[in-house]
Amino acid sequence: MMVSISTSMMMLFGALVILVLCSIFSVKYRDLGLIGAIVAVILGFAAVTLKNPELIYYSGFVLAISIINLLSLKRIKSVIQGVDYGLVGIMALATLYIFSTQDLAMVLAAFVLVSVPTYILVMIREGGANVEVGIKYITFMVLATVLFLIGAVTLVYAKNTSNGILYIFGYVMLVLGLSIEVGIAPLHEWVPDVFTSADPIPMSIIASLAKIVPFVIALRILMSTSNSLTVSITLFTAVLAAISMFTGNIGALTSKEPARVLGYSTVANMGYVLACVVVVTKPEFFYFALTGALLMLFSNAAGKIGFFNAIKNKGAYSPLMYMLAFSFIGIPPLMGFWGKLFIVFALIKAEYIWLALLLVLNSAISVPYYTRLARELGVGWKANLTNYICVAAVIIVLITILPDWFFKGMEVIAQTISIAI
Amino acid sequence: MNEWILFLILFLAPIISSVPIALAYKHKEWTDKLPPLSVLGIFISVLVSLYIFFCLPDKAYSYPWIPELGINFVIITDYLSKYMGVVTALIAFFIAIYGLDYMKGDYRLPWYWFFFNLFTASMLLVVYSDNLFLLFVGWEGLGAASWGLIGHWYRDDDELTYVGTMNRKVGPLNFFWPPSAGGWRAISTIRFGDVPMFIAIAAIWLFAGNLNISEIGWGALFGKVGFAGTLIIFLLFLTGLLTKSAQVPFSEWLMTAMTGPTTVSALLHSATMVAAGAYVFMRMTWYIQPWNLNNVPGLELAYTIALFIGLISGLYGALAASGMLERKVLLAATTMSSLGLMFGATAASYWIHAEVNGMNIAVLVGFWYLAIHAFAKASLFLVSGHLIHVTHTRFSVGDLEFGKKMKIGFATTIIATTFLVGIPPLTAYWVKSAMDHVMEHLAIEYSIAPLILLLVTSILYSGVLAKFMSTNFIKGEKPHEAHLEGGGLMKAGYVMMVSMLFVIFGLIFTQTELAGFVHAGFEPLSIAVGTAALAAYGFAVYKPRIASLQKLGTFFSDRMYFPYLNDYLCPKIGFFFSRICDYVSRGLDGFCNIWVMPGLFRRISESIRSIQTGELSKYVRIVLGVVMAVLILVSIGGVWL
Repeated sequence: MMVSISTSMMMLFGALVILVLCSIFSVKYRDLGLIGAIVAVILGFAAVTLKNPELIYYSGFVLAISIINLLSLKRIKSVIQGVDYGLVGIMALATLYIFSTQDLAMVLAAFVLVSVPTYILVMIREGGANVEVGIKYITFMVLATVLFLIGAVTLVYAKNTSNGILYIFGYVMLVLGLSIEVGIAPLHEWVPDVFTSADPIPMSIIASLAKIVPFVIALRILMSTSNSLTVSITLFTAVLAAISMFTGNIGALTSKEPARVLGYSTVANMGYVLACVVVVTKPEFFYFALTGALLMLFSNAAGKIGFFNAIKNKGAYSPLMYMLAFSFIGIPPLMGFWGKLFIVFALIKAEYIWLALLLVLNSAISVPYYTRLARELGVGWKANLTNYICVAAVIIVLITILPDWFFKGMEVIAQTISIAI
Repeated sequence: MNEWILFLILFLAPIISSVPIALAYKHKEWTDKLPPLSVLGIFISVLVSLYIFFCLPDKAYSYPWIPELGINFVIITDYLSKYMGVVTALIAFFIAIYGLDYMKGDYRLPWYWFFFNLFTASMLLVVYSDNLFLLFVGWEGLGAASWGLIGHWYRDDDELTYVGTMNRKVGPLNFFWPPSAGGWRAISTIRFGDVPMFIAIAAIWLFAGNLNISEIGWGALFGKVGFAGTLIIFLLFLTGLLTKSAQVPFSEWLMTAMTGPTTVSALLHSATMVAAGAYVFMRMTWYIQPWNLNNVPGLELAYTIALFIGLISGLYGALAASGMLERKVLLAATTMSSLGLMFGATAASYWIHAEVNGMNIAVLVGFWYLAIHAFAKASLFLVSGHLIHVTHTRFSVGDLEFGKKMKIGFATTIIATTFLVGIPPLTAYWVKSAMDHVMEHLAIEYSIAPLILLLVTSILYSGVLAKFMSTNFIKGEKPHEAHLEGGGLMKAGYVMMVSMLFVIFGLIFTQTELAGFVHAGFEPLSIAVGTAALAAYGFAVYKPRIASLQKLGTFFSDRMYFPYLNDYLCPKIGFFFSRICDYVSRGLDGFCNIWVMPGLFRRISESIRSIQTGELSKYVRIVLGVVMAVLILVSIGGVWL
């Protein structure tokens, strides 16, 4: 046992070393950054799977998403090219690692590791830095990180001291921090602006890979610290989720610019995922919520990558765009459907039927703007990087046509989700 | 032997054999050649039904379908279904042979043969099903096929296919109906009954937990639901049967069903469709055994209603027929009358405790009357179809000279009518005698009204069929046209059909369970009624039309203005409700979709977008404001929690 842990730790450490070295040398040899990042991510994947074979499906999806993210960075000539691969590589490693540790400090470190690289990524643009967007983004991220970390630590302290008021403070701060971090209404103000004015390629990374870790950490901490008060305070989360769904969908429905539509779509999707947090009150059905949340995050990631790359390229192959739109809408048997289905199922089990109904209603509201997006961004076939990236994204949303294997994997992971505190 | 293969062949042979012609609908050279294949499919069903009759024991065969809900493929081979299966398959087969000739050159052969065979298969499913749900599948098949067949000549371009005197108006209503109207009237009436019937089946499932007619504990079920429950379930179910069997007040569709090809009328009126209602009533009664449930509240009232609806329909049908001038419509009205008697006889079983080999005599009477009526009425329809072909008119015409030219048709008509109306000692006489006997018994136990209704109907009925015979072959006008050539298969069809009456005649004297019929035939009452029927028959042959009664005749041939119910009153009620729904829906639509939703949407989306000014300080104010507000609220609420 000890041997295998140390082996996987060694591999992770090796991955980090490769990442750093390649980033440094990429200043001279640009492609080295990309190769190093891919090798590091694959090594990280191997390390995580070696330590915990149950994680292979989760890690597989993260690996696929991060590699697509890395490849899409080739589309942009930034001033820090080479280093940007390294930043995405660090985010990917943290995302892969997030289920593998029981240590609170490591978990929170992973949160910061995923968050901070995006500060730089968001400013990337061809031949310069997008400082204005950067300031706007970083302002909120700092706020989010502070709230989140204080919330997490307060929760743990409240758990150890059985302090009810502190628990509720911690819970609320964590959820608020999470809301600002991922963009949940009514704390979503930065989202439409940043999504519209930043370059689409870094946006595709921030909207995909960066969303997974905050949710996983929030779910893990809330699961570990839940007590008799959770049932009362959960309503707060549910209301937040409902507001976010409606704000996102109505905003997207009445926006014209594709990037802005995607921004509001993120607000809505994060609302769906936040709904999973209410299932913390019913640990016996939590694995449904976890499966739903992860499928939702992965399908959101695949869709955002596809659409943002299409925006960058001024269009992508039309059938691919429609497939991604259908996944977002939640048409069976695409991944978006399964994500929503598991969430709805978990909500019903958690006796939040009204929230489940609102989720379904919101899916219906979202139909027009996703199809409009697909129509506007859809063009004929051309053999280019954007289209290949979109093909990869479509494969991701198609891979769970029968989701039971993924679900079964999640069932095992859900049992070991709590953090040692 | 695996019986399931047998049943599969029985039900699927007619359907599969008619698929080729249906698929070849675009190729006339094929559709002209393929009808014999469809007939072959029905012939296979005849063979299987005969095999079932002779070789299979009385038993229910169950194959799982949705076992959790008690819905299974349950095929029962008992006394009723064995006989009825053979009757159905044989009649369909004879009519199909006739149809090869009759439908030759029709513009819509694939349609015709597919629905004809679907009709037959559906009826066989109704006949052999023990499971109410499975039975209902066949039941709906009957409805769909009858719609297709009655409206077969959908172009409405041939006056010969209409019902009623052309351009006749009574008040605001047209009293003539094209085929398309006939199809619509049939399906709309039948659907009106099917829905309550389906609800009744659901209720039976709910309370009995089982849908197999032979297995349900009917006594326990009725005891469980009480007086009102019994009555409601029974009447809901009965609505389906009565609409299908065209009993008062649902009789109108049957009259205008005559717009379909004559073969369809023949099938519709004998062994399928209308017979299905009476047959299912018999099957239910057979297993409900109401004569053993005389202490169950509600059941007596239910059976009384069935009894009187049946007998009143019998009288109404005979009266309406007495005024009819159209061949097929006259026969249609008499069919309704006969079905009424079947319902009446079967319903009488509640008060009749006499059993033969464990079978109630009243149900036996109803069933054997159904069988005799089926063959006789099918023969008459086939003859009248032939007459329409020959004379090119649907109204009764034909003098003795014409009758001599149509010898076989004439002879068939004489046999079919005399054997059906209860003239001693011909086939139906014995069954009718038993029916008289049953009603006489009712007069002692319950009320004299049924007996009187039956006797009046019987005598009228006899006169009406004699009128049919006389006006078509003896005393009618001389036909303008007489295309006598050909028609070999048609003649073969009705000769085979009518010959079955002799077979049944033989059965009455050889089957032990029917000995009671023979016995009843020698009762004084029966002899008197038989003589009266004979007298009525003779009188009507001699004087088929009475000029002084013409006004009354017109009133009867207008079906006592019942078309007003179908074509005026019901649509008015329907339109009234649909208008109310329309107003409500428009109101809701206007309120929600034009005013509330868009307004709400505009407000919300405006406020969502108005936040997005791009000004960082504003955003920070909002976010920090929300965070602070929440934290303050939590501080207050947390203490309270």
